[in-house]
Amino acid sequence: MKLNEQQLAALATELDAVKAGVMTQLGEKEANYIRRMLLTQRLCAISGRILMVLGFITPWLWALGVVLLALAKILDNMEIGHNVLHGQYDWMNDPVLHSQRFEWDIACDAGSWKRTHNFEHHTYTNIIGKDRDFGYGLLRLSNDFRWRLRNLWQFVTYLVLSTLFQWGVSYHELAGERVFFGKKKPDRVNSISHSDLKKAFFGKGARQLFKDYVFFPLIAGPMWLWVLAGNLVANLIRNLWTSTVIFCGHFTADVHTFTQEQCEGESRGHWYYRQILGSSNFTGHRWFHILTGHLSCQIEHHLYPDMPALHYLTVAPQVQAIAKKYGIAYNSGSFVKQYATVVARIIRYSFPGGKATPA
Amino acid sequence: MSFQILEVEFILFLVYNCALKLSGRTSVNKTISSWRQRLYRQFSLMLANQPKLGYYLLPLLHWNKPQWHPDYHSASVVDFCWETDQMLSVRLKPAASWSGFTPGQHILVTLLHQGRYISRSFSISSSAALFAQQKQILISCRIQPQGEFTKALASDISGLTELSISDAMGDFVLAPSADSTGLTSTVMVAAGSGITPLWSMLSSIRCWTSPVVLFYSVKNAAQAAFLAELKLLAAKQPLFELRLIETEITGRLNLVQDLATKADFSMTQAQYYLCGPAAMSQHCKEQLIQQGVPADAIHSEQFGFALTAVEGEMKQALILQKGTEIRIEAAAGVPLLQAAEQQGLNPRFGCRIGVCFQCVCQKKSGQVLNLRTGQVSGDGPEQIQLCISAAHSNLQIEL
Repeated sequence: MKLNEQQLAALATELDAVKAGVMTQLGEKEANYIRRMLLTQRLCAISGRILMVLGFITPWLWALGVVLLALAKILDNMEIGHNVLHGQYDWMNDPVLHSQRFEWDIACDAGSWKRTHNFEHHTYTNIIGKDRDFGYGLLRLSNDFRWRLRNLWQFVTYLVLSTLFQWGVSYHELAGERVFFGKKKPDRVNSISHSDLKKAFFGKGARQLFKDYVFFPLIAGPMWLWVLAGNLVANLIRNLWTSTVIFCGHFTADVHTFTQEQCEGESRGHWYYRQILGSSNFTGHRWFHILTGHLSCQIEHHLYPDMPALHYLTVAPQVQAIAKKYGIAYNSGSFVKQYATVVARIIRYSFPGGKATPA
Repeated sequence: MSFQILEVEFILFLVYNCALKLSGRTSVNKTISSWRQRLYRQFSLMLANQPKLGYYLLPLLHWNKPQWHPDYHSASVVDFCWETDQMLSVRLKPAASWSGFTPGQHILVTLLHQGRYISRSFSISSSAALFAQQKQILISCRIQPQGEFTKALASDISGLTELSISDAMGDFVLAPSADSTGLTSTVMVAAGSGITPLWSMLSSIRCWTSPVVLFYSVKNAAQAAFLAELKLLAAKQPLFELRLIETEITGRLNLVQDLATKADFSMTQAQYYLCGPAAMSQHCKEQLIQQGVPADAIHSEQFGFALTAVEGEMKQALILQKGTEIRIEAAAGVPLLQAAEQQGLNPRFGCRIGVCFQCVCQKKSGQVLNLRTGQVSGDGPEQIQLCISAAHSNLQIEL
């Protein structure tokens, strides 16, 4: 169903009111929550790294260490990093929880992430040709894209991308800017020079590699191989988890895509409308939501990227009611169901054709 | 033979001298220490993704010291008292890392209030002696009903045990001549809470050698902080003269007229210290310069940049970009990003609709209106989104 401008304006007013209801109440509760999360993350990371070395007592300690380190990395990337970099906690004026100062435990440089994710992806969500997160330039996920031979094996490409997800994310901006490969686009305005991009990419990547695969193994002495392997597994768990969560947010069966013409000079209401249709939620237990960094509420996250994420669950029923009122599809389901449709989508568009994605 | 020995000796002498110079020179030490700093920074970035390891451990430290802020010094709250019904004095004991102050200087005070750090500048109002003897300082602040920080301070003060403070800043301090040589006289002008740095200076003078006159402009005597102390000083110290101006009774201060009636006084031979609202300081300054007082004899203090909540459409924003100051006009209701661009600046930006946080920058002082929510910010330092903020008062912003 298409909404007219008047309806879109009314939609914007209602969604703004839901946001104001939360944002005017921010205070001690949210601050304590995120500080506690940060404390949990630090304790998991430190104890995980210590337990891995104690693997000589029993390998179970090593395994526990790996799980704790993976958990620390997931919390750091999802519930803390991603949300902090969106400016959700800027109002706290806290030096370690500020979007302009935060740097995370992942190969991707925070500055690069803020440009490609916060700006490009969140402003132009699911607009084909403007939101490079739709398929990451690697996967054909709708019939908006011409079929190419390489799409035939894109499920394998997807598995490789998931395994190396942190490197995919960190290389994303350089790929788009054609820093190393590809034809340069003459009309592209660069907000940052290629040399700065390279410096950030190699600098951050090298630090992360050095930490997990040189520094910690070295100080572990005879246990170096265990620590090295443990760090590798922890990074792998984090990569698979983050990739899976993110794919469930925008590539499920019923998400919509948009053309650039549809969104030219769009109103605030249309922007909201596009965010609801371009995202999908999945359900789960409270701790499950925390592990996804509340990206299980992708719709609410896209409507309110700067609202502290713990509130997405509380505003979700209101958002769903508003969506229903305006006849906008609210895409939600169990994690297993949503993920199954992602896999189906990747496989379906490996082959030519496929039905048009609604917009 | 002897010539060769001489030559060798000479070369040794040269080498020795070079070594001495290299090791003794600060430039070498500086290079070494800057290298050490860079190495430490890289190490900390590698290990913890933080410029300092302390930031990584902050969540653990906050376990039992929730007020602690890694960029500042902690200061414990000793006690507090009300100087007037609106002015609150807080006695602080800064941590040993705090390096002291010169009377007249100010500090940035940071408070953890309802989960967030809020900051404001305050002049230290106590004497140098109090710090020397008891390692304590006093800050005095007027509680403003619409002021975010002072309101929070007043409501938290009874349960407050700790604050964070910055190093002492500012060059609003007594010129050496006023304290020692006694060649010139000193004129101080305080309006309202502007008394705080001046009282710190006055109470720190150990050896009176030259006359000092203080013009203290307040609404009425009940609102005059430190009045009893000032009167006591005036009674005890013949070189000190206190002139209280109660604006409700006698109207506004006219500095030049008042000074003209003063016996044995040459206006051009004095040092002037002005502290109060920007408009008052500006007015006095202009008048004095008209009378032939050299500009470098006039010292004035205002926190940041004219901070009055301006009526009317046009505000001024003072933008600091890579060390240079640029003044721009910012109309009410116009996003600061747009105003800056129209006047030739190009701040970093992204979505321009308040979503992506690319244009976030540091507001040092002043109030902004959030164009999306209609909320007015506090006037302390904090980060703002340029694309959805408009000037609500005059501003100071760092790009």
